[in-house]
Amino acid sequence: MSTVRITFSALGKRFGAHSVLKGVSGELRPGCAMVITGPNGSGKSTLLNLLAGVMRPSSGAIDYRQGETPLPRHLWHTVVGMASSDMAVYEELSALENLHFFARLRGLGRSPGELERLLCELGLEARDLRRPVSTYSSGMKQRVKLAQAVVHEPPVLLLDEPSSNLDERGHETAASLVKRFRPHAALAVATNDPREMAWGDERIHLGQ
Amino acid sequence: MFAKEVRSELRARVAVNAIGLFGLTTLVAVAYQIGPYQIHEQDRPHLLAALLWIILFFAALSGLQRVFVKEEDAHTAKTLRLAASPLAVWGGKLAFNVALLAALETFLVPLYCILMRMMVQGILPLIALLAVGCLAMAATATMVAAIIARAAGSGTLFAILAVPLMLPLLVMLIQGTRMAMTSPAWGDILPALQGVGALAGVTVVTSIYLFPVVWHD
Repeated sequence: MSTVRITFSALGKRFGAHSVLKGVSGELRPGCAMVITGPNGSGKSTLLNLLAGVMRPSSGAIDYRQGETPLPRHLWHTVVGMASSDMAVYEELSALENLHFFARLRGLGRSPGELERLLCELGLEARDLRRPVSTYSSGMKQRVKLAQAVVHEPPVLLLDEPSSNLDERGHETAASLVKRFRPHAALAVATNDPREMAWGDERIHLGQ
Repeated sequence: MFAKEVRSELRARVAVNAIGLFGLTTLVAVAYQIGPYQIHEQDRPHLLAALLWIILFFAALSGLQRVFVKEEDAHTAKTLRLAASPLAVWGGKLAFNVALLAALETFLVPLYCILMRMMVQGILPLIALLAVGCLAMAATATMVAAIIARAAGSGTLFAILAVPLMLPLLVMLIQGTRMAMTSPAWGDILPALQGVGALAGVTVVTSIYLFPVVWHD
């Protein structure tokens, strides 16, 4: 897997007259987990959205480098995996169908067996994989979201409160996912949960 | 993307129900009130062609606009943005809208011809016009649906943006259908066919350049 490094400098984001982020800088690099903390409304999710490329900054710059080569913006999505509370999977499809769809969209030829293994690894029971996601609990949906975020083994993993809606076992699953990606991926976790904060090597606190 | 759209639609049946029921209700109302015999013979080609496309147009508008709004409503748009290239998304959505409109035409046009006793001299030219019209209408609706998806009051906005874009298209489709009713010659329908084809081409090419900007910003 190729490594990706993201440098961001003086990032700012405004929504109309309301400024959410101002002058945030940092670097996401492989083998390093960054934890983003701050009170509600301080811009944690916005920062992840900017880093993922689903939002454009009002000021500042974000630079993706694959090795030493700059990665153009339209290719960022190919190296990013992201799970957050404002993202959803298709409720009318099963977990397996969702994962198969997102793998195909990314041009991956994952077999049903591989996808099943990934979903089971994230704590879903094999008997639940073929029923519609609309019948799942919020914790089960969160596990499917995590699965779609990592189905392509991304070199950049952005997680927004990954243990939200998860029970104690789910928190351990999320922790082991972070542990698996940590050695080779650039990782950012937005959270205020003390247990998730402990995953980080570096911390950015917003809203100061 | 197209396969997912079809699978989702077969399970939820939101667009199919909207488009099918609207089309059928309008058709039955028109057939009941006007019927085949209320129109003078010399007016039949003009009126029947216009009524056919009005029914198809409004039925299409009721279903095609959902294609991106449903992604925003269900919070799947961001997941999709991160998983696929904009062109893959646009291509899948366009193909789905074309299929939906083609299904509507296949169901509604023969029924309309039977109920309104609409005689068509140029059946093959009419089929060609329906096919090209289907692509042009679906391409316009898909692009407008993408533009309005994140706006509040998207239903109203869709009508405001789509109607002026589709008006020239509708005029050409009505003219072409009228010609197909009265003449079996391809030469008579060709100007309308070329006009609709050109509009479809322009819309598709513009969408290829415009969609990535609309989708990400």
